[in-house]
Amino acid sequence: MAQSLILLCIGLPWAGAVVAWLVRNEQERSQHALAVAFSVAAGLASLVLIPYASSEVVLRLPIGGLFGDVTFVADGLGVFLAAVATVVGSLAVIFSVAYMHGDPQLGRFYALVLLFIGAMVGLVLSNNMLFLFFFWEITALCSYALISYYNDDPKAVAAGIEALIMTQVGGVGLLGGALVVYALLGSYEIDAFLKNAATLGTTPLAWMAFGFLIAAAAKSAQFPFQTWLPDAMEAPTPVSALIHAATMVNAGVYLLARFYPAFAPVPGWRTAVVAVGVVSALMAACMALVSPDLKRALAYSTVSQLGYMVYAVGVGGFFASQFHLLSHAVFKALLFLAAGAVIHAVGTRDMMKMGALGPRMPFVRNVFVVGAAALAGLPILNGFWSKELVLEAGLHDGPAWALTLMLVGAGLTACYTFRMVWLVFFGEARTRLRAHDATASMRVSLALLTIGTVFTWQLAGSFARFLEGTLPFHKIHALGTAEVVGEILVAPLTWVALGVIALGLLAWWRRDQLAGVADSFDWLAVAASKSFGFERINEQVVGVTLAVANAVRVTQPGHLSWNLVGIIGGLVAVLIFLTWGA
Amino acid sequence: MTPLQIGLLGVLGLLGVGCYGLLITRNLIKVVIILQILVKSAVLALVLAGEAAGQAGLGQSLAATVIVADTMVAVVGLALAVQVRRRCGSVDLSAISTLRG
Repeated sequence: MAQSLILLCIGLPWAGAVVAWLVRNEQERSQHALAVAFSVAAGLASLVLIPYASSEVVLRLPIGGLFGDVTFVADGLGVFLAAVATVVGSLAVIFSVAYMHGDPQLGRFYALVLLFIGAMVGLVLSNNMLFLFFFWEITALCSYALISYYNDDPKAVAAGIEALIMTQVGGVGLLGGALVVYALLGSYEIDAFLKNAATLGTTPLAWMAFGFLIAAAAKSAQFPFQTWLPDAMEAPTPVSALIHAATMVNAGVYLLARFYPAFAPVPGWRTAVVAVGVVSALMAACMALVSPDLKRALAYSTVSQLGYMVYAVGVGGFFASQFHLLSHAVFKALLFLAAGAVIHAVGTRDMMKMGALGPRMPFVRNVFVVGAAALAGLPILNGFWSKELVLEAGLHDGPAWALTLMLVGAGLTACYTFRMVWLVFFGEARTRLRAHDATASMRVSLALLTIGTVFTWQLAGSFARFLEGTLPFHKIHALGTAEVVGEILVAPLTWVALGVIALGLLAWWRRDQLAGVADSFDWLAVAASKSFGFERINEQVVGVTLAVANAVRVTQPGHLSWNLVGIIGGLVAVLIFLTWGA
Repeated sequence: MTPLQIGLLGVLGLLGVGCYGLLITRNLIKVVIILQILVKSAVLALVLAGEAAGQAGLGQSLAATVIVADTMVAVVGLALAVQVRRRCGSVDLSAISTLRG
């Protein structure tokens, strides 16, 4: 049963991708219907898979000696992320019915979205590192194609290429790690690696650990690779929701969480993970505070919240990181889709042109406020419980400087979230915009996600037991929901964090009185609005690459004869090498 | 000298002739002919390898396959040369080079 469910979870979106591609673009209604049907079916399959979760290999496809068997393990971590990818993904697809209405190339859009969802499921369920890498690269390719979906817009194409290159850099680390494991253990299987990691020796393990950290940072848009995610906002909004909440960026956190038991003993690795998380969380929060673009501000908040998850993994709070991932997936999908409804209605992403939209789109305002409160960490929404758990984990086992900075980050989060809500829905209308409330199919997705935002924290206990029961290598102490709630409510840290969050809200409320303080932080605002110089660094890297390419182009004179001699010479060299080696 | 060694010398000789020819010629038609010479050295090597491994039949059948495939390569190469001549007015490699980096 579990076997066929795994195949369904990956196969249904992929089959849907092919079907949506084959249906002609003139038949728009059937394209919408097919995409929704296949994605919802995949979501249901992944939900049915939950009770079958176990740490055993349930699906083994022999494909010859070179790559080893393709094995899939439906353990708690994998099934959980597969469910997030397919369920949130299917809600994004339902939302697209309204958002992408009338698009001339709907087939391409749905095919890529469904391929993306299927690849993400494959990535989290795969137990073969090489196939983990393959799925990883498929998601990178899909994100590239979807970010550049409006391919007549040079900015969108540039953003797509940026995302592709950045995640490729990380992919190299992942492939290198997989090859090291194969060379030393003779197998690509992840569970075999986790079991025998200690026997590998410190040096190869350290190489792998840091290689995987780079891969995860690139995929999850963490410092120093954070620039691609905000630029990816050129994509259609459902795709942004998909990338930010359901698929792409979770892959990096998944990678760290999956391999944490093997890498935790590597000296310096946990500190590096904590540092990456803290720097990303703070830096992105500062940038969110000054961004005038609604979607970019949300993108920065994603980087920041992912920083919290990475930090949680670094301090050993495995459950806290995954729980925050769940909360974040739900409330960030809600925020993105609500932002999409706003952008769809008013036709601009610039918050400085919005204002006072609340009375004209009350439904969107209400759900956005719920999502924003969860992002800010206000009780009793899911973001509150998971963020407190992350901070608790940091207090329990982690450096004090990191915890302090994360608390500051929580205050900044509250401040920029409130700023966003205020600029869009309240205050005065700064320009005259035509606005209408969300349409029916948008409301379905938004309402379901709002319900999720209010209630998913009640799953804490069963989620912890679920992870504990199916992950033999991770040490998790499962508590019931009531115990988690009790522990959080009596912890002094919770009240400190709430105080900081309240301060953050107050700071925005009293921004006129605080103008003097704000002026003294002007340098920070300027630096943040210039993304702390990282765009400059990217430009320099591109410049150096082009210069090197120009320097070596003299080796390509373009004479066919010489190229042929080169090919033959290379073949002969390989032959000689093989003869000597054998 | 064993027959195998003599054969290998032949392979190397053909390979050398091919590489030398590639370096001195600028005519696309001649390049196709030289590629044929190079492939013949590979065919000879296949036959010799089959003989040396005690599987003469296998080596010879592979050689026959290569000859068939190679004929198609030559046909396509010559057809391309015709197209190049029509399009560029020349089959001189240095004149039609668009692969320059």
